[in-house]
Amino acid sequence: MRATRGGLILLGTVGMAYGAWLLVSRQDLGQIVEVVLWLAAAVVIHDGILAPMVLGLGWVGGRLLPRAVARGAVTVLVLLGPAALIAIPVLDRFGAKPDNPTLLDRDYTQGLLVFATLCVCAGVAVALGELRSRQPARTNVEEE
Amino acid sequence: MRIPSEDSFTSRLRSAAVAARVGLWLGICFLVALATGLISHYAQVDHQPVPLPASPSWFYRVTQGLHVAAGTAAIPLLLIKLWVVFPKLFQPLPRQVREALPTALERGSIAVLVSTSIVQLATGLLNVAQWYPWGFSFRSTHYALAFVAVGALLVHIAVKLPIIRDALKGDVDDTSHDRPNAVRPGSVSRRGVLALAGTSAVAAAVLYAAGTVPGLSRIAALSPRSREHGIPINRTAHSAGVVAEASSAAYRLEVVHGATTRSLTRDDLVAMKQRTHILPIACVEGWSVAGEWGGVRLRDLLDLVGAPPGREVRVRSIQTFSASADTVLPPNFADDDRTLMALVLDGETLSMDHGYPVRLIAPDRPGVMQTKWVSRIEVLG
Repeated sequence: MRATRGGLILLGTVGMAYGAWLLVSRQDLGQIVEVVLWLAAAVVIHDGILAPMVLGLGWVGGRLLPRAVARGAVTVLVLLGPAALIAIPVLDRFGAKPDNPTLLDRDYTQGLLVFATLCVCAGVAVALGELRSRQPARTNVEEE
Repeated sequence: MRIPSEDSFTSRLRSAAVAARVGLWLGICFLVALATGLISHYAQVDHQPVPLPASPSWFYRVTQGLHVAAGTAAIPLLLIKLWVVFPKLFQPLPRQVREALPTALERGSIAVLVSTSIVQLATGLLNVAQWYPWGFSFRSTHYALAFVAVGALLVHIAVKLPIIRDALKGDVDDTSHDRPNAVRPGSVSRRGVLALAGTSAVAAAVLYAAGTVPGLSRIAALSPRSREHGIPINRTAHSAGVVAEASSAAYRLEVVHGATTRSLTRDDLVAMKQRTHILPIACVEGWSVAGEWGGVRLRDLLDLVGAPPGREVRVRSIQTFSASADTVLPPNFADDDRTLMALVLDGETLSMDHGYPVRLIAPDRPGVMQTKWVSRIEVLG
């Protein structure tokens, strides 16, 4: 185990050093600075905006919503949240080119709405399932 | 507002047992993306020390489809993994320097892992949709950061290895590695979180990366590509600036071997023996569609100028700028029976955007190296 861990740390360090060298040796300074800005922005956007938003939702939802509804809401959030993020580049067709009809050739708003509807259906099903399973065994819940 | 501490987080879902399982799936996605990414970079090297095989013809398309699918599936998994381990962000540093230094190094490697992972997944996602809101080179940056991200991942795995092994051996509801106050039941169970994570990952991959997969393309509602227009196009004739030259009556295909040069019109090519093969165009962006290509076997053209087998062949396009202006075929591709100078696609004359008057189509090559608007074929020494 000790040797494995040592080997992994060594290999990982070499990988990071090689990647860093590739990064700084193949582009000009302005480009490297921009990559570093993106790396910093990634952490700031996740840890500073996205994560607190989800924490806030969890805090509010956990206190306001009955357990069954909260369960459905978590289902919708976990399925739809990442899909909505993934849809950002295609929803506004940022990369579209006027002379290329084979790129970004779907109705993405409609597609996302259909998927969102399916997620809500899944959430409702989960909430109903929770309600139904609790009714016969109500006394047991208190022990958990 | 008070800054939270690690103990402010009390959900029992934020547990090593959950983190190790989601982390394992995430690690598999990263490994698949790394391996398939390296294959693609190697496939695009001219003069490969060991040429990739030309068969099976679907190998490249499958690897690149997997690359984008694994990367897309990793997005929900990474978000869930980060949610599970979020309290670690508020862990205090040890006061003594001897303990603080390794902790700081480990935290540093986590910061590198998180930031490079997010940037890799985000830039890959945007590349598939051909949206480039940055000034750096996507190709160089995505390649370099892959080594940094996987390197940081290996260090992370090494540091956590005892806990990972324990957690994966034990039950998902095991609490032996949990913080003492992380006992509040969540609104879903741990198994529920894992089921949701897996479903979300598969859904993301299908929605975004299955646009050209037969049977799945219709439900791939967020895919930047579809099968609607046959084989998708990346660079149009207009954007490559080749329309005038490619449609000119003065067009000739030059085949050169040493001092021997043959100059052929499109009609000369049509008069030669025609062959048909079903081969895919497969892109680094993960999409691929097969077409029925008709045209002249490259080997027949090489025979015209007396080129012996076993030579590398450079194929040059009318377009002069960009990476796809010329490509070198290794001998095993140049001599392959299926490698064509295509004149026809799916029974119709090649369209201008697909490379009229003539394009290269070889088995198992990156799409960017299936040179369009070919003007010159040169046997290398």
